[in-house]
Amino acid sequence: MKFITKTGLKALVTGLIRDYKVYGTVKKDGFPAYGEITDAKQLVLLQTPTHLSAKGFVFPERETLLRFNMEDGSHKPVVEAADQVIIGLHACDIHAMLLMDRVFAYGAPDANYLARRAKTLVIGTDCMPDEHCFCQSIGTMHATEGFDLFLHQTKNGFAIDVGTKRGAAILRKYTKAVTAAASEIRNMEAFEKKRAGSFKTRLDAPAAALPAIYARSDASPVWDRIGSICYGCGSCNNVCPTCYCFDVRDEPAANLKQGERVRVWDACTLEEFALVAGGHNFRKPRGARLRHRFNRKFRYLTDVFNAPFCVGCGRCIRTCLVNINIAEVTNELIAEDAKRGIIDETVRTKKAER
Amino acid sequence: MVLSCENELPEILRQVDIVNFREAMTERHEDYEIAFVEGSISRKEEAHKLRKIRKKARVVVALGACSSTGGLNCLKNRFPMRYLQEEVYGRGAHKKKAFDTDTVRPIDAFIHVDYYIHGCPIPKKEFLSVLTALLMGSVPKITNHPVCVDCKLAGNICVFEKGKTCLGPVTRAGCDAICVTYGGVCWGCRGLVDDPNIGAHTETLKRYGLTADSVMDSFNLYDRCAIKRKR
Repeated sequence: MKFITKTGLKALVTGLIRDYKVYGTVKKDGFPAYGEITDAKQLVLLQTPTHLSAKGFVFPERETLLRFNMEDGSHKPVVEAADQVIIGLHACDIHAMLLMDRVFAYGAPDANYLARRAKTLVIGTDCMPDEHCFCQSIGTMHATEGFDLFLHQTKNGFAIDVGTKRGAAILRKYTKAVTAAASEIRNMEAFEKKRAGSFKTRLDAPAAALPAIYARSDASPVWDRIGSICYGCGSCNNVCPTCYCFDVRDEPAANLKQGERVRVWDACTLEEFALVAGGHNFRKPRGARLRHRFNRKFRYLTDVFNAPFCVGCGRCIRTCLVNINIAEVTNELIAEDAKRGIIDETVRTKKAER
Repeated sequence: MVLSCENELPEILRQVDIVNFREAMTERHEDYEIAFVEGSISRKEEAHKLRKIRKKARVVVALGACSSTGGLNCLKNRFPMRYLQEEVYGRGAHKKKAFDTDTVRPIDAFIHVDYYIHGCPIPKKEFLSVLTALLMGSVPKITNHPVCVDCKLAGNICVFEKGKTCLGPVTRAGCDAICVTYGGVCWGCRGLVDDPNIGAHTETLKRYGLTADSVMDSFNLYDRCAIKRKR
């Protein structure tokens, strides 16, 4: 494990700004957020999660996929990716990005995402849970991969996990790192111990049991109840670090000769998400939309990727104006399920599910 | 807003002939296929004119808040007409035909409207996207999600988090949440989404300290006509 001082971090960030586009955690209107860093002073390493996740840096809310010409029918793919560094991701965010990596490489690999991801350096940092964090219950509390560097804030500076060769290289190039002293490591371990005992939100069943529990909860009264207070505003999707759905649109220019194909974030809690030709909507009631979203996090995608797609960051809970709480809802489903009295194998086979 | 499309207007004029545009030209022609109609209806002769436009045009597009939802003008509907006429035009005005004014209505209270361009003011890009879609023969996309989406896409901190209130969660987006982006709040100028959760938002506004009356006032500012119709 390496160590740099606070001045050492400043030198690292200043160096990175010279050669990369640098984004990091800042205070925006006094609230934790991600923003562009053009001066090392702007970076504020935050203990609690940002309002929006960091997904926009690798999966922008709006991007051009191709430019087309309607006169000759030609088209040209657009892949825009610049060397960039994102500083300040917490363990949950790093887990989320690893899941996004799998999603966008699955099936037909997504050229735009993968190009951007390949040019992205990730510098993680440690954190302390607020009342809505529940990564401990999901198993995403620590990151062992998915970062180039991971900073543990200690009394005198930062103990650093070096995750990749690229991470080691920037550390060498821009700052002076030494081997972390035993006292710094003890300092870090004490912090992690305190952190592990600080979670106020917990899930009442192991994450591996959730797909089966969700599978038995389609008819739960919970869905109608939360559906009745839901706006269908899509905020939970948009702040989620693993929601990756998008809409693709063709936008002709005013001359009707050229145009662009763009993709924009879409959200399964919006009314038109499941609307198809003929005006049919698979999930018109808001409760059905929420049920779908929660199932995507704990069941449907777990079937494909063998991991929960909720990382426990709590962003959807914080953003929801009517206090729909994915952890509380899940615990309610767990309690309902316990009443059913089904003795369940915690990890079910895919065959049983189908 | 249409006239401020300086970069696109020359291209647009290559595709269409503008034959009737009261605010921009004096010549008039009554032969047209697409009609963009601005303003709400508050007089009988306006309703008559509107029906004539509907008969001539293949496509009618409501342009702007007044036309689409009635807009601010609908505030008038909470007062008795006679009171309004005398307040604005003086005593005895209600007896004069020249001041004959009626309840304010959006244009779709009188005719079938094919497409809507919402907002006060309308976003330039929305006008262009509806126009290009019509010229291409495709169906214009009218946004039907709440402003919360545009706020998140713009990276805004939620105004509720700052202790303020807004109508974003029930208001039709498509504006890039421009008011919030520049430090304001959403007043709902684009009208409600197709399926707003008014009950939930009433509760939220109360939870953030608004009284029942001020909740109704905020809904009524732009949406009096729509709220009345929904109930």
